[in-house]
Amino acid sequence: MKDGFRQSMAWLHTWSGLLLGWLLFAVFLTGTIAYFRQEVTVWMQPELHGSIPDAGTAERAVERMGQLAPDAAQWTITLPGERSPAVSVSWRPVDAKPNDRAALKRATLDAGTGAVLEPRDTAGGNFLYRFHFELYGMPREVARWIVGIATMAMLVAIVSGIITHRRIFKDFFTFRPEKSALRSWMDGHVAAAVLALPFHLMITYSGLLLFMTMLMPWAVDLAYDGNRQAYFAESGFRRAPPPPRPAPQVAPLTPVAPLLAEADRRWAGRGGVGSLTVTNPGRANATIELRPAESDSIGRGAATERLLFDGVTGRTLEAPPAEPQPAAMATGNYLMGLHLARFAGTGMRWLFFISGVAGTVMVGSGLILWVVKRRSQRGRADTWADGPEPFGHRLADRLNIGVVAGLPLAVAAYFWANRLLPAGLEERAGWEIGVFFLTWAAALLHAPLRPSRRGWAEQLWAGAALFALLPMLNLATAAGHLGNSLPAGNWLLAGFDLTALAVGLLLGFAARKVGRNVFARKAAPASALPAGAVVEELT
Amino acid sequence: MILSSLCVAYAGLLALALAMDRHHEQVFARRPSARTSRLLGWAGWLGLALSLPPAVIGWGWAVGIPAWLGLLTVAAAALVLLFPHAPRAALRLGPVALLCAPFPALLG
Repeated sequence: MKDGFRQSMAWLHTWSGLLLGWLLFAVFLTGTIAYFRQEVTVWMQPELHGSIPDAGTAERAVERMGQLAPDAAQWTITLPGERSPAVSVSWRPVDAKPNDRAALKRATLDAGTGAVLEPRDTAGGNFLYRFHFELYGMPREVARWIVGIATMAMLVAIVSGIITHRRIFKDFFTFRPEKSALRSWMDGHVAAAVLALPFHLMITYSGLLLFMTMLMPWAVDLAYDGNRQAYFAESGFRRAPPPPRPAPQVAPLTPVAPLLAEADRRWAGRGGVGSLTVTNPGRANATIELRPAESDSIGRGAATERLLFDGVTGRTLEAPPAEPQPAAMATGNYLMGLHLARFAGTGMRWLFFISGVAGTVMVGSGLILWVVKRRSQRGRADTWADGPEPFGHRLADRLNIGVVAGLPLAVAAYFWANRLLPAGLEERAGWEIGVFFLTWAAALLHAPLRPSRRGWAEQLWAGAALFALLPMLNLATAAGHLGNSLPAGNWLLAGFDLTALAVGLLLGFAARKVGRNVFARKAAPASALPAGAVVEELT
Repeated sequence: MILSSLCVAYAGLLALALAMDRHHEQVFARRPSARTSRLLGWAGWLGLALSLPPAVIGWGWAVGIPAWLGLLTVAAAALVLLFPHAPRAALRLGPVALLCAPFPALLG
């Protein structure tokens, strides 16, 4: 039993990876896109593409709120930033309860003119973001448990994978696409895993932390005698105290420009003011609260820092510094903050995105490897083509097609639906999501009907075409196409189109590889493989 | 700062790769001597260590370290893809990266 431990780790790696692998692939893929969920949402609302912020945007928005909701108890104005071009506003009517989110009224304003915009009804990037930890159409708690269990399996797969593939640090830079199919899939799987290993560990572990109070509630229940609200209140997730009632005396609101200038001075280099909250506007006890656009630390959102002004005189009322946190909470918040990446600017977001792509490739190649390895062991040189094989292997292969090739296709279809469905359709956001699931279901049904290699090639080609043509679709249906966004330096919109094009080319490259079957031509027959070396490492 | 860190990280990882027999052979068609291998190894670790400060200066510790790890991922991915297809290009990019490294730092 010299290799007993490593063998059992290899077994654990294979099965913890395979059984929840298809779900994990979907979680990784949609979670990776979620790093750009705001950018995706903006692209999916072409009505916002003409909104161009300038220095007067904040004042203009405040002025517009005076016309839209003069008698509201509170206005919240979220200013445009690097990741969104328009102003989002919400206000609470005087008679609504302070914490009743449903009573809030919302609108979107053009940053350049202050006009109210009517963006189409879409879930945008939020759908993909929500899907990656809550799936869809089932009770939230159940879905979170399922994803939580899959995340635990992921952590097990990563740790057992490090033990199984013990040579990964010696073979760090190794990728041999010209070798046998088994060898190159193995290299690709290991490279994707090891290159972004710190990210994989961080994202999986912090993903579990985010579910912490749901997956492991006992410590909290014990310490707080089952009162979870008390725990949340004490951990700083407390709700704001209700704002004071509006004073009966009317008083004009102070100009906001000097307040913004003061905030810019204090928060220099942090992207300036992100949002304004005006409480009791137009009344003698009005206050204006400013919050920074970005936080310079990961563990606490931008929310903990603020500047509070008297809304009539413009005098500074308070500027509380962020409170220090206990070390354990700071560590937890840091890890969860890394997962959410709310702190991240565009450059950081790209680094996370690339690591997320590596994770998606790791899970996808692992799934494919399971099938490839079993075919090689049966002496099949052509690892893409059909042949007599056990039902389980065929099932895994067809699920691989429908998920690894089918899911990108469904995401592309979601973007197409966004532009092709009529803008005024009832329940429009739901229809877009419906197209996503219908396409995915079609891919899952298509896979078992076709010979394996054809199935792969057809779905990859379809995904490639839909992604690569997205910039053309944007050109045909919106003002924010590459012809406008590139000259204007609008990377928010150009970034989406260029990324879609790149994804299309990559999928096309993969489709061509499968279609031409380069692997089969160059692969040595399995009997000629150095079985001791390869198969031993893979079992 | 991002580019400085990335360039130095690439050069460091390249040296580390060249310290390994397999990749040294891919580029130079011969195995490195034990001494060359050791020197390249030291140079590689030095490069990795030097690629951390720009990231920390640019982003602070809390964001700088994850950013640095992300940049290492990008640099290593470039090497992994270059070695089988264009090993000489992987080598030539090393000095280019080192030459470029100071400029982003100077420009701020």
